[in-house]
Amino acid sequence: MTQLVLGQVLNGAIIGAMYGIIALGITLTFGITGIVNFALGEFMMIGAYATYALAERAHLPYAVAVVPACFISAAAGYLSNKAFFRFTRNNLVNGLLVSIGLISIFESAALLLWTATPLEMSYVLPGAIRLGDVGLPKMKLVVFGVIVVVIVGTYVALARTWLGRAAFAYAQNPEAAQLMGVHTPRLETAVMLYSTGLAGLGGALYASLYSLEPAMGGVYVLKGMEAAILGGIGSLMGSLWGGVILGIIEAVGSIFLPTAFRDAYGLAVLVAILLFRPSGLFGSE
Amino acid sequence: MKLGTTLFVLLAALPLAVRSDFVLTIFIFTFIYGILAVTFDLIFGFTGQLTMFHPAVFGVSAYATHLLVVHAGLPFWLATLPSAAGAVLLAVVVGSICFKFRLKTFYFAVVTLAFAEMIRLIVLNWNSVTNGTLGLVVSGRPTFWWPGAGWVAVRGPVAWYYVTLVALAVTVLVCVRVLRSWMGRCFAAIRLNEDLARTLGVDVFRYKLLSFAVGSALASFAGGLYGYYTGYIDPGYLGINQSMEILAMVLLGGQGTLAGPIVGSLILTGLPHVIDLRGELRAMLYGAILIFAILVMPRGIVGSLVAWRARRAA
Repeated sequence: MTQLVLGQVLNGAIIGAMYGIIALGITLTFGITGIVNFALGEFMMIGAYATYALAERAHLPYAVAVVPACFISAAAGYLSNKAFFRFTRNNLVNGLLVSIGLISIFESAALLLWTATPLEMSYVLPGAIRLGDVGLPKMKLVVFGVIVVVIVGTYVALARTWLGRAAFAYAQNPEAAQLMGVHTPRLETAVMLYSTGLAGLGGALYASLYSLEPAMGGVYVLKGMEAAILGGIGSLMGSLWGGVILGIIEAVGSIFLPTAFRDAYGLAVLVAILLFRPSGLFGSE
Repeated sequence: MKLGTTLFVLLAALPLAVRSDFVLTIFIFTFIYGILAVTFDLIFGFTGQLTMFHPAVFGVSAYATHLLVVHAGLPFWLATLPSAAGAVLLAVVVGSICFKFRLKTFYFAVVTLAFAEMIRLIVLNWNSVTNGTLGLVVSGRPTFWWPGAGWVAVRGPVAWYYVTLVALAVTVLVCVRVLRSWMGRCFAAIRLNEDLARTLGVDVFRYKLLSFAVGSALASFAGGLYGYYTGYIDPGYLGINQSMEILAMVLLGGQGTLAGPIVGSLILTGLPHVIDLRGELRAMLYGAILIFAILVMPRGIVGSLVAWRARRAA
């Protein structure tokens, strides 16, 4: 039993890290631009399919394919920002509607290019590490490690640099930040590029573990949003913790409670958090 | 109101001129979704609460109406009433929780979404009652009394057209009455400035809940009608996509208006059928139109028309 629980905790943490990387994008975009980028899951899908195309069709090594995949996803994010999102600043519902439109566009484009048949990549890194009685695939550990490094790296970078201070200043008061010499449109573009690039990375990592289908992003953007709220909107490390906690709740919950309601356990915790601690577990009041 | 009556008469006369089942079917869906969109707008556009709970109300009442007809032997119209009561009960429970804790905008949306998802999971997994993913086939038909003919079943596009048109008209009328009363003024006060409304003595909690309950009660009829019209109910009725669809209709047509949601409903139900392309390209074009419409007219079609007329008059 302990070994089952332990296995599920580790599995949950790894899935949760995937939620976390989307959550980081959501938290950054919402904190800086006031838009909930509901289409972030689609950028994840773009990253995943780009990785697939580069690794399986163009025969690049996986580790090399990940980098251009992130750039492709970020480029798509840049274009959507330039064409659409920048007109919906601080307008939650219109931004949401633009996201809905984008989901429709990207998903049907993926269906045209790749059809609805799930695609699977060949094993990138086979084998597993045994931890006592629990076996952990090496690739899952690598994915977990990469995500943790990226999120912590983002946190450190934003806490230490001028850009980070500018971003925090902007989130607090856009006009004051502008008066202090922050080039705000550039900052907004940067946030959009970074968050969609992150989603692309999430997708690229996802591609190495699971099979791909055009609608894969929908679930992850919801989970990412849950994770972002759980950790506290605006809190960077909170997005990682939020994701990991959400993943573990779902994984462990489905051992003791019916698996069919797996998604509900996270939601129930989310509702409780929002009611009793609206700023999230790690957000500041 | 004059405009509304004219429109109603024109729409009522439409089946006399247009015999195409294709067009009538689009209008039937427009009317049913119109009920959802108008009631959503009552909560969102008029009271300022971005609810994502509508699909839950819609789906649960579709199931409830059908199950009451099948298991309790009630006639369709009688069965819609306990379903509406159930919808109100759900809305009051969820609304009380949200409004007691003063959840606003994004957070209110997320919590109502979470509750709607939980209800969807229950419906999805309660196999003995809802038949799970497979859904239920609805074979009965609503009946009504017709002078000279006695009880007749609603059959064929023309009959359904009138049933749904009248249902939408009743919904709009109730909304108009509510909005013109003291309730509507309290809703507007809450939308414009909640704190100020509270200071002026508006019981914010009570009126938010009232708006949520009235909107949900009316929306529940759409669920019953939809299930009986399509002859099929499945858990997809409660999906998040439904929320997005309704939100798109309201924003496209114009939030905070009663005509807007109906216009949006007509466009978004008609559009996919009018675009004569293969599935994927159609979805792509649909998305593009949605985005451009909202960028060009941030206040929606009706909202922009109203603003344009006001500018011309000035």
